[in-house]
Amino acid sequence: MQHQLKTPERPLSPRLTIYRWQPGMIASLAHRASGFALVLFVPLYLWLLRGMTGSTEQFDATSLWLHSGWGKLFLWMVGVSLAYHFCNGIRFLCIDTGWFESRTAMRASAFIVLGLTAVIGLLLVVLL
Amino acid sequence: MRSVKEPGAAHDGFSDWYWQRLSAVVLLLLLPLPLFLLVSVYSGSLDQQSLLDVIDHIYSRVLHTILILALIVHAYVGLKVILEDYVHRIFWRVPLIGAMLVMMTGFGIWWLALIWAWA
Repeated sequence: MQHQLKTPERPLSPRLTIYRWQPGMIASLAHRASGFALVLFVPLYLWLLRGMTGSTEQFDATSLWLHSGWGKLFLWMVGVSLAYHFCNGIRFLCIDTGWFESRTAMRASAFIVLGLTAVIGLLLVVLL
Repeated sequence: MRSVKEPGAAHDGFSDWYWQRLSAVVLLLLLPLPLFLLVSVYSGSLDQQSLLDVIDHIYSRVLHTILILALIVHAYVGLKVILEDYVHRIFWRVPLIGAMLVMMTGFGIWWLALIWAWA
């Protein structure tokens, strides 16, 4: 019976290569991806805070950078990540409290959140 | 949640789940405030002196502190769960989570020091 104790090569979670892609799955993965992206920008937030609360020259330099191409790109990426993470976070909290728990509701809400983020992304392109 | 009969083998997974939600609700309520400030500064409707007047206020500092603490907890638990899911080797997982905890704490202390150092 020794051979039965050996652990077979089994797929480890999350089984991205096994499940069929679904809106809810994309929404969950995007939540992680956007959350991770928001953490990666942490040094920039610190730099922004320092710049904005520093001397007048620092403030002007920070403001100038934010209105430059790279600054706008940064604001757009953070904005889209945050918009998605925020909206889908509300969706997750609703699901946790028992609202929209059905399969169809979860699928529909995933589409709504993804669509809303696309709209916000486009709006940011226009407004920035 | 209502149909869960058996907790996981570790029996302490609930605290991660709970802190993640608790910090999420705090962020949901507080994060719009600094975002509003950032938009106001970006659009030029708030100059530096007005910005400093707002964030120097004692209420702002307290809310800012709660926000940063919630942010640290939220980011830490979130990254921890991601690492636990995708990094399967304990050899890598534990040091990575530890390093992340140290970085997050450092970031939080730095940020709080900045907030409270303002005269």
